[in-house]
This record gives sequence, C-alpha cells and structure tokens, in this order.
Amino acid sequence: MKHTEENVMKQQALDRKLGVDRSSKSGRSSQSKPKSSADVKADKEDQKNTAPKGRKRKIDSGVEKDNSSVEKLVKIQVPSTLKKHLVDDWDFVTQQDKLVKLPRSPNVDDILTKYLEYRSKKDGIMTDSVGEILKGIRCYFDKALPVMLLYKNERQQYHKFVHDDVSPSTIYGAEHLLRLFVKFPELLAYVNIGEETLTRLQQKLMDFLNFLQKNQSTLFLSAYEGSRVSEGKGKGNDE
Amino acid sequence: MEGGRAKEEEHDGVSVHSPCKAPPSSASSLPKEQHEVELELRLLEALEIYPPVKLRGVHRHFVLYGLMEFLQKSLDRHFSPDEVLQLLDRFYNLEVLKPDDEEIDTLNHEEDFCLPQSYFVKEEP
Repeated sequence: MKHTEENVMKQQALDRKLGVDRSSKSGRSSQSKPKSSADVKADKEDQKNTAPKGRKRKIDSGVEKDNSSVEKLVKIQVPSTLKKHLVDDWDFVTQQDKLVKLPRSPNVDDILTKYLEYRSKKDGIMTDSVGEILKGIRCYFDKALPVMLLYKNERQQYHKFVHDDVSPSTIYGAEHLLRLFVKFPELLAYVNIGEETLTRLQQKLMDFLNFLQKNQSTLFLSAYEGSRVSEGKGKGNDE
Repeated sequence: MEGGRAKEEEHDGVSVHSPCKAPPSSASSLPKEQHEVELELRLLEALEIYPPVKLRGVHRHFVLYGLMEFLQKSLDRHFSPDEVLQLLDRFYNLEVLKPDDEEIDTLNHEEDFCLPQSYFVKEEP
C-alpha cells in the first residue's frame, strides 16, 4: 500500500513548507495503546516497498531543519525474543500475581556499564556518543519508572524499595529496562531531533537491544516470585 | 566584530556573556577570528533545533547528543559532550534556565504500564 506512506510523507513535506502545524494525534497521548513501533510493525505488510521508518516520518535527509510542524516517532524494533520476555513478564505480573525479586543484580546501571565496556572494546576511543545516549537512557529510566513502567500490582513493591534518594536504576533490572523501550518513541517525541541524528540514535538503541538479546540468559530472570508469602517459587519457565 | 549577536535572545532568564575568552587553537588554516565566527554561527544554528532550555530537563542527554552530532557534521571535527557544554557556557548561563514546562507534563501523568496488543501477536516467518 504505497500510496498511504507516500502521500502522508508528501503532505508532511508540503505542510512544512507552508508552515502548517499539523498537530493531529500523535504518540504523545498517554493512552494505553501508544502509536509506537509495535503498531507500525503490525502493518508491516503495507510497508514492504517503503523505507522502514515510522509512518509519520519526513522524507528529507541531509540538512537538519526545524521539525516543529512535523510529527516524528522514532521506530524501535524490539527483537522477537525480547518481545517474548515482555509477554512472559506481563503474564507473570498481571496473570500470575508474581513480582520481580528486588533488588536486581545486575541492575540497570550495571547493564548500561557492561554495554559501554562492550562498545568501548569494539569501537576503541570514540564512545562519547554512546556514553551520552546511555546517560540518557538512565535518566529516562529513573524518571519514567514510577510514572509509566509499572504494572499496578508492582506499586507497593516500588514504594518499599525506592524511597528517599534511591534511583530506580540501582534497584530494577533488565525486565523493567525493556519496558522502557516500549515507551521510548513516546518519550523522544517530546524532543526535537534532526532527521539524521534520529536515525543514528535509532541504530544505537537497536544495537543496545541486540546486546540485551545476546546476553539475555545472564540479564533476565526466568522466574518471578509470588507476591504472597505462601506462594513460594515461581513456575520456573525456561527462556 | 563584537560578540554582540550572541546577545539577541529569545530565551528568558538567560544571561549572555560575550565570548571574550581566546578561542582554543585549532589546526585549521583559517584565521582564528573567522574560525571563531563560524563556530558561533553553527552553534546558533544548532540551538534553533536544540534549545538550551532542553538541556535542563530529562531529555538533556539526547539533546546534547543531537548538538554533538550537528556540530560534528557542520564543522567536520569531533565534539565531545564536555566541549559542547563548554561552548554553550560561553554564551549562556545554563544554571538559570528552568526546565521546559512541557516536560513537566510528560512525566507527571502517572499511568500503569500496558503492553501493546501487537506484542501478543505471533509473528509469521
């Protein structure tokens, strides 16, 4: 279905030239079903012939311009085994009334550090960009965790472990970090970022996700704990 | 040429200093002044996309990353995060900037996490 993609993009480019502000609905609403990469992927058979960008991307590349009139949602493709983790995570917490045992080790801080080390070995000296992005991820995580990354039944546990000056990134681990990536496009939608930079950022985030996937056996829990004392062990699902 | 242009400001609560410090020496063959002017221009261009006020909020690292990338591309050399911040410090007093109001809205609206429906759909090979 080329026409949809192309027409929308042409329209956006025209609007930008005319200075029209297209403030139609975007992924900014805090609805339960964000217009994230997940939705775009569901339409993927429509996008075979077009560039794999989110449906609201502009066509210009090269010069970075003011993008205020154009919606853009960075597309984050969560690898399929990580998607499975998210589904199992959902199942454990919302269907089986279980919780991730806290504090986690490795925690989010540890994971980000490990990734930076891994990248430094690969890239040598130029890890400035990666470093800054990782700081950005940590910052988002710490802020976003209590606001949009918890299932209802996890709130009590949250208040128990995170108080005063404790950062969520020292308590939580890969399970919750992964949820952040579901929300990433929405968060980034509030920042104006140039087209090329956004693409590079997207690539770096994907590389990070691939790292999580490669190391999933050491980063993710295979079982959660019952939230009731009588529950005892989890089901021992093998990932 | 004075640093006067840096004083034209659309940002409230910002005090602007003229760049009176000597620029760092560079390997460029351009006269230092011209080089300095170009740097200033590019920075101002960059700041149209990445307003300094965003450097105070939760998105600050991504904004800084954007600035790094922009300057690197326009000036064809590497910029570290610290270099960018130092550069900005010559023109802006970042401490007096308040975080964007819009951002306060983004992350104050508490909601339960919800996994989008598409995650539950089995992917076909």
